[in-house]
Amino acid sequence: MRLRLGNSSGPFSNSPPDSLQTKPLIPSNSLASPSAPIQSSNPFSSNCHTNGAGLTTNGFSNGLTNGTGSNSSLGPLKNGVSKHSKSVAQVSLPGRKLFPDSNVDREEFVRLVIQSLRDVGYIESAATLEAESGYTMESPEVAEFRHYVMEASWEQAEAALIRLGVTDEDNLMESRFLISQQKYLELLENRNTTAALMVLRNELVSHNIDPDHLHSLSSLIMCSTPEDMRRRASWDGAKGTSRTRLLNNLQKHIPSAVMIPQRRFLTLLEQSRLWQQQRCPYHNSPPDSVSFSLYRDHHCDSSCFPNTTTTILEVHTDEVWNIEWSHNGEYLASAGKDKSAIIWRVGPEKEPAQREYTQHLVLRDHQYPVGCITWSLDDSILLTSSDNHIKMWNARSGLCMRTIETHSETVTAIRWLPDNSGFMSAGLDRRILIWNPEGNQRDSWGTAAIRVTDLDVSPNMTKVVAVGIIHLAPAPQPPASTGASPAPGARGDSASQSPQSQSHAQGYTMKAENRMIVYDMTTKQTIASLKLDGETTSVRVSYDSRYALINHAPDEMHLWDLSLSRIACKFTGQKQGRHVIRSCFGGVDGNFVASGSEDGNVYVWHRDSGALLEVLSGHGEGSVNSVAWNPKNERMFASCSDDKTIRIWEAITPGMLAAAAASADKDAIMTDSADGAGSSKNEKGKGRVTS
Amino acid sequence: MGMSYRQYLAGARIYGCSTCKTHLATIHSMLSRAFNGQHGRAYLFEGVVNVVEGKPCDRLMTTGNHTVRDIYCIKCGVTLGWKYDRAYDPSQKYKEGKYILERSLLVDVQ
Repeated sequence: MRLRLGNSSGPFSNSPPDSLQTKPLIPSNSLASPSAPIQSSNPFSSNCHTNGAGLTTNGFSNGLTNGTGSNSSLGPLKNGVSKHSKSVAQVSLPGRKLFPDSNVDREEFVRLVIQSLRDVGYIESAATLEAESGYTMESPEVAEFRHYVMEASWEQAEAALIRLGVTDEDNLMESRFLISQQKYLELLENRNTTAALMVLRNELVSHNIDPDHLHSLSSLIMCSTPEDMRRRASWDGAKGTSRTRLLNNLQKHIPSAVMIPQRRFLTLLEQSRLWQQQRCPYHNSPPDSVSFSLYRDHHCDSSCFPNTTTTILEVHTDEVWNIEWSHNGEYLASAGKDKSAIIWRVGPEKEPAQREYTQHLVLRDHQYPVGCITWSLDDSILLTSSDNHIKMWNARSGLCMRTIETHSETVTAIRWLPDNSGFMSAGLDRRILIWNPEGNQRDSWGTAAIRVTDLDVSPNMTKVVAVGIIHLAPAPQPPASTGASPAPGARGDSASQSPQSQSHAQGYTMKAENRMIVYDMTTKQTIASLKLDGETTSVRVSYDSRYALINHAPDEMHLWDLSLSRIACKFTGQKQGRHVIRSCFGGVDGNFVASGSEDGNVYVWHRDSGALLEVLSGHGEGSVNSVAWNPKNERMFASCSDDKTIRIWEAITPGMLAAAAASADKDAIMTDSADGAGSSKNEKGKGRVTS
Repeated sequence: MGMSYRQYLAGARIYGCSTCKTHLATIHSMLSRAFNGQHGRAYLFEGVVNVVEGKPCDRLMTTGNHTVRDIYCIKCGVTLGWKYDRAYDPSQKYKEGKYILERSLLVDVQ
């Protein structure tokens, strides 16, 4: 702010720069005097003057306008208008459009600009624009109305509604109710119970509102303290934001042409940015990054995408089945067929070539291969599952704190709860259990309809999504050796049981049905139970708790919109037949979907469009079983494979390019793969860990 | 080979591995109870699940020469019986592709 002022008035004043910088601290009177002599000799004198005057209003209005969220100050507004209507001539333009070939209404545009200027604190400029364009941001009635609400002049506010064009009966009713409700709550807050009761009887009851709501309002009278009342009403009091919130709610009933919604211009810009972001398939920039500018359309370069192997971790002696980053992104846990889990510490260095991966702990002592892993919220505990056992490990010392053997069949999912109240486990024994952080069972969800093959808890703790399989008893068939063929009717019945999948096991077929079940986390009730076409192996709920990402055979992944209970997007390309293949969300806002695949590649899609972005090769023979995006670094993820290795994928950095170029100079023989794979080879030496 | 879960069966009667209770076969796929194994009575099944097959070898049985593979439980590795790859005697051809589970190694599971 200071710099800009200095710059704008700089060319017109002879004052040294340091005196300019002190200007905002000087009272307006003393500020005006040094600029006065220049004013007379300068053709831009009126500008200079505006700047000076704007400065004083600036400090004043910044506190007030932004503090209350809207212009509750009538003073500077009226002053501004009256001052400039004299000096600025109105420009009259033909037509109503901003430009002859545009569809934008000029008045709407100008009023939004005035609103923006005023919200920022450029009160004088806003006034000048009002004078020059002949449009006013809003009529004095609107400002008055705002004033009434903010100053709790309820009767006047109510009377102003009709003047503001709230003529529709329902709108008027609803608006009056909102005002009465605020009045009632404020009276209660002031312990003026008698007056509050009058409002309840004479005003609130007369409105046709939901009886439950009325009951909860009337019950507030019983509250002993204002604090208790505010808490129970989820209302932050007259001194809080409640009046501003009331104003926002009232705004919905007032024609927007009369009272422009708050920060309307900003809303439009945000919408445009969101739209550009959705059309940017490789979008992976944080919202405050330089890649967002109003000057040009946003576009993320695909070079920011983590598509290069920077490290290969090869210590596991058999297939690696699962990987999971710690919440702080500094550790990676891996587990697999060799009956061990490994915790890797990832060095803090930004440049992959300098970063070290060390084996922090190797957790052996599992009786069977390790299938699931999960970290506690503070990353102090690692949970592993090995067949029907769950083990709790101290992630710092490697000490096994507890072995839980409650499940009777393979545990297929363990998830630490987002509120840190413990963890959840589920298995092929159809049991869904909840444990406290010490590993004591604190709840059971009874027997699920499905043998759970995976489960996830929504981050907002409202839903649990489980996928799994229901095995159906085969229709009675006489033994083949008797030579009798089944009755035609029976055969017709079994064939019509669709959708069904058949799992082939050495020529023997078994009927099964696959399902996704969505539970309400608090009531344990089933919200939705949907048949799926193939065997499901993985489910992940998105960060915003809106979507569930489900892998199922053959070769498909679906993104379910949990609120609408329908498929929002399908992802295809990866291979999945018989194995447990897992997927994840990744990148900024979970913009990407990544999955392992039985063809040994890693697949990445754009979440919203379903467009396949990358097929990353590098892993050896066998399946890529799981992928995990680093929660603290949107440009890093890991994959694990039957080839016994874990690969770390990152975006190519300038340092890596330089390293690749340097090594290419040194030994030209090694540059047979000078592309992305070549640079990863160089990092491998540093990143590779051998025990 | 990749990670996969064991299969589960449904039906009136399910036979499991007596050591670890892994599901192996249902009564619906049973073809005959009139077989004998190394530990006494054995059953012939149309199909079984959750077993690993060993290498083929020729074995002379009471009904003639057969090419068979031993089968092991996928979870605990116990030998459960065998699978017929080939029967040399034409009258025994019906056994090809079928499985023998020894009764003493089975347990009823649900």
